[in-house]
Amino acid sequence: MKFQKRTWSSLFIIALLLLLSACSGSDEGSTGKENNGDSDEASTQKITIFQSKVEISDQLEALAKEYTTETGVEVEVWGTTGDDYFEQLQIRLNSDQGPSIFSLQNVTEAEKMKSYVADLSSEEYAKDIAPGMELKVDDQIVGVPYGVEGFGLVYNKDLVKPEDVADYKSFVSTLEKLKAEDITGLGLSKEAYFLIGHISNYPFSLQSDHYEFIDNLTSGDVTMAKTKEFQEFGKFMEAIKANTPSPLDVTYDKEVGDFAAGKSAMIHQGNWAYGMLADFDVDFEVGMLPFPLNGTDKLAVGVGNNWAVNGKKDEAETKAAKDFLNWMFTSETGHRYIVEEFGFVPALTTIEANDLDPLSQDVLNASNSGQTIPWAQNYYPANIVPNDFAPKAEEFFLSKDMTGEEFIENLDDAWKNAVK
Amino acid sequence: MQNKINKGWYLLFTAPLFIIFLTVVVIPFVIGIYYSFFKWDGIAANPKVFVGFDNFIKLFGDTRFLESTWKTTLFTILAVISVNIVGLVFALLVTSKLRTSNAARTMVFMPYLIGGLILGYIWQFIFLDVFTLIGEVTGLENVFFNWLIDMDFALYALVFVFTWQMAGYIMIIYIAGIHSIPNDVMEASMIDGASWWQRLKNITFPLLMPAFTISLFLTLSSAFKIYDVNLSLTGGGPANSTEMFAMNIYNEIFGYGNYGYGQAKAIIFFLIVAAITLTQVYITKKREVEL
Repeated sequence: MKFQKRTWSSLFIIALLLLLSACSGSDEGSTGKENNGDSDEASTQKITIFQSKVEISDQLEALAKEYTTETGVEVEVWGTTGDDYFEQLQIRLNSDQGPSIFSLQNVTEAEKMKSYVADLSSEEYAKDIAPGMELKVDDQIVGVPYGVEGFGLVYNKDLVKPEDVADYKSFVSTLEKLKAEDITGLGLSKEAYFLIGHISNYPFSLQSDHYEFIDNLTSGDVTMAKTKEFQEFGKFMEAIKANTPSPLDVTYDKEVGDFAAGKSAMIHQGNWAYGMLADFDVDFEVGMLPFPLNGTDKLAVGVGNNWAVNGKKDEAETKAAKDFLNWMFTSETGHRYIVEEFGFVPALTTIEANDLDPLSQDVLNASNSGQTIPWAQNYYPANIVPNDFAPKAEEFFLSKDMTGEEFIENLDDAWKNAVK
Repeated sequence: MQNKINKGWYLLFTAPLFIIFLTVVVIPFVIGIYYSFFKWDGIAANPKVFVGFDNFIKLFGDTRFLESTWKTTLFTILAVISVNIVGLVFALLVTSKLRTSNAARTMVFMPYLIGGLILGYIWQFIFLDVFTLIGEVTGLENVFFNWLIDMDFALYALVFVFTWQMAGYIMIIYIAGIHSIPNDVMEASMIDGASWWQRLKNITFPLLMPAFTISLFLTLSSAFKIYDVNLSLTGGGPANSTEMFAMNIYNEIFGYGNYGYGQAKAIIFFLIVAAITLTQVYITKKREVEL
């Protein structure tokens, strides 16, 4: 009896050990391989890229292939749906499976990822970044902009003239006129950033110092409801609600599709939308106009995304990642991809941009002539747009009788909730 | 002797399963409890601050969470009722002498084989395009409009789709229960002159109690834990009106980056689900009758 007991318990332990060793065994195998790769030479080095801009995934993969054929370094591009990019990034970094190159939207995200981002200040291209456009944490450049982007009223030149949307009065009468013709005056769509995220920038950007304003807002010294620009913004939103169909039924694809089909005269979008418009083969001219809050004639131009390097990887991989960025920003192929394939308005002064699409050209013109207002959204509390602003905006568009004033008060609440 | 050997075999074969259960369920669960006492933003390199029971106390003042609790409860009640009624009706239909009963069974069960995510996107399309089209054609625009952009109807839409998905599965359980009712009892009652309703009430239902137990348990727990359909159909919207428990926790952790607080919510969530389902099983078990 005794003997039996011992046999079985030892069998049990052997089973356990087998199982465990099987697991760890395979682990060793893979790390062993990796080590070989590192010591061999750079040609078997592999880097991974994880970034949030879905529009350029295919093109980025093509660029990665070109890099591999040129240098032998394998580049793997991970897919993303865009929506939950930052969460995915966080999960992967936490479980030590982070990418070597990732993208960060703004300084709030960079602060959060402070312990991961590598210092890029000493890179060759760092000095070429357009002034004020680099992503900095503690005076170190940690992110290189994808490009500059701008948003505003993307308009159909057959249906709208610039003077039609020069200020509040003309804006509203244009929407009303178009509504009477059964054309959507201004199309928004239900995705958080296209519904409220971008459009909410204007009242912030028009403050004399939007950083200070946002800090004051967070500390409770000012409220949106008591600020002139926001009151005006509320009136604009009211006019949009009254004169256009509910954006909650509309996806980004439908928004751009309707515009391309001539069903809507304007959409609130950025130069990134041109990629899709080009697919539709639009037969009219398009351009971008400033959103006329307070009669402003400046486009909102900023950096939507930055390349960052994971500094927590082993040295060889970090270096390979830096080399890749260096190649992208200094080689001819890289430049060609950034401008032609990605369709970015370059943020590096060394990259020449010819033959830009009309929307990007408008952005570049505005940026060259200084007719721009900053992207205040880069300084918003992290995730405030999908978390707090979007539900309030949905509520606003759903309820027939909510006024713009109430909406702005709700945004105040949303802000308080986001920074608490 | 024989007994001992059996025990050994048990140990040998349960060991792998036990290890998997330990590593993917028990250990993360314990770590989760540990995290719920901290204030932490989820980034490994950033500090965790011990706050004791603060996270749990904070829960009771969190209106969005309480709102979500109420919506989840409402959803669960509606879903459990509708899934079980529809499932039972289908089961009674396909076990009666219907000529197409086999085809009907397959068709009703089919939705369960489609993943919740895909299902949500399909129904999103149906609500957006088909419903509005029906509304325009028939003029019943009060009923047929895009339910997903109405704060009340979005929840009903969720119940609707969940029922559509689960009813077939629940039907299978009821069918098994109905088949296990001995024929002689039925025949005896028929000879005694019992009507269809009397047979249903006095024989079928009492003998179906074990099936009720399982079905209620399954629907209760899966309705409470719903996430995939919620995510793809409404995404919690409009204006957070259909943000269920699981989604609220996800948003707290990944949207706001409050890992500790989100964990505290998850623990409470677990306790509620466990309490409700155990009570339900206890009550229905007591009502089961043996022949």
